[in-house]
Amino acid sequence: MTAAVEVRDLHFRYGDGTHALRGVGFSVAEGESVGLIGPNGAGKSTLLLHLNGLLPEAWRGEGSVRVGGVQVGPDTLHEVRRKVGLLFQDPNDQLFCPTVFEDVAFGPQQLGLPEAAVRERVARALAEAGTPGFEARAPHHLSVGEKRRVCLAGVLACDPSILVLDEPSSSLDPRGRRELKELLRQIAITKLIATHDLELVVELCSRVIVLDEGAVVAQGPTVEVLADEDLMLRHNLERPHILRHLHPH
Amino acid sequence: MRHDFLDRYSRLDSPIHRASAAVKLVVALALVVAVVLLPASRPMFLVAVAVVLVAVAVLSRVPWRFLVVRVLLLEPFVLGVAMLALFQSGGWRMFLFLVGKCTVCLMVMVLLSNTTPFSDLLRVLKRWRMPALLVTTLSLMYRYVFVLVDEAQRMGRARTSRTFTPRRSRAWRTIATVVSQLFIRSSERAERIYAAMCARGWR
Repeated sequence: MTAAVEVRDLHFRYGDGTHALRGVGFSVAEGESVGLIGPNGAGKSTLLLHLNGLLPEAWRGEGSVRVGGVQVGPDTLHEVRRKVGLLFQDPNDQLFCPTVFEDVAFGPQQLGLPEAAVRERVARALAEAGTPGFEARAPHHLSVGEKRRVCLAGVLACDPSILVLDEPSSSLDPRGRRELKELLRQIAITKLIATHDLELVVELCSRVIVLDEGAVVAQGPTVEVLADEDLMLRHNLERPHILRHLHPH
Repeated sequence: MRHDFLDRYSRLDSPIHRASAAVKLVVALALVVAVVLLPASRPMFLVAVAVVLVAVAVLSRVPWRFLVVRVLLLEPFVLGVAMLALFQSGGWRMFLFLVGKCTVCLMVMVLLSNTTPFSDLLRVLKRWRMPALLVTTLSLMYRYVFVLVDEAQRMGRARTSRTFTPRRSRAWRTIATVVSQLFIRSSERAERIYAAMCARGWR
């Protein structure tokens, strides 16, 4: 079986000389939910951009990224972006249309679907994301939590087979976080979640990858990796409290 | 935070708001062209248009104070342009006529933008086969004006909270910094937005 995501020896250097990725390698199996954790500046966001081929200068670099068996490169962009739905960190970057409907419809329209099908997909995606009936609202009138869910609807409307999320729970209130967690739990496709929210990782991901200074420093079953206090502290992370309740030893 | 300084009343319910966006856009554009082409010998036409506009404003239930303030805010530009008329013979008459013309045009646009949601106007433009790139640009502009103002406000607040001794010369310098920062941030944001568009299949 081909892996949903396979990254091999990936290097990346930004134009200003920042060496963001230094030989990253990992794979995500079909249907798996994987957490991607690491301190600020570890290269998480850069890595996620690679999964959508959004850093054109990367094709000249070393290493390879394969999504569902397809090598990410100039000729496969359309296919790759169709497969991988990317939720950006700042919802304002992602919501670029004057109304929620137009924003969620953006992806399906780019796929060339007829109007009726677009409408149906938008309604379905908004319902899935927990914001049914938001079609006529303007993005700048939504709260951060609502914005995030509408962004998620915009991604789901494209019917991706892999969901890649960059800090999905940042700047949400506890209730917003809980609702988002429930939503993500219900979406039964392969997920790669980059986050500082370790409780979210414990609850949603069976496996976790720790990234630091542009390289994978550890990976394995979530509970095992997060319980390793030395490892966590070494990489500016911490052992989440929730583990105590799971493992009362 | 107020996010409706541009078109606060565009979603009210009134006969004017209910009229189709296409009709309103056609009428508004026609009025503007007619007013612009109006010869100086026919000032009464201008008065007639102004009366009609006032009637529309009343019908639309947009608070008149808001409309007046909006037009007054734009008036300095009008004065700047009309001032040039003072340098020719019979300047005063021409000056007043120009101010009147421009003010009526402004009233038309202020009324249009406060009785019609911008997204409806864009839809009309798209239907009229306006180049897609131009429509996209306009819609992005409308969307991000709010984000930009938010950002400017946040930067302003951050600055104010650390300004202990306000001094005029210092103030100009900080304003310059804020403007340049905004420019840089906007261009970086533009790159992220473009990435987000590509991620959802934009070509």
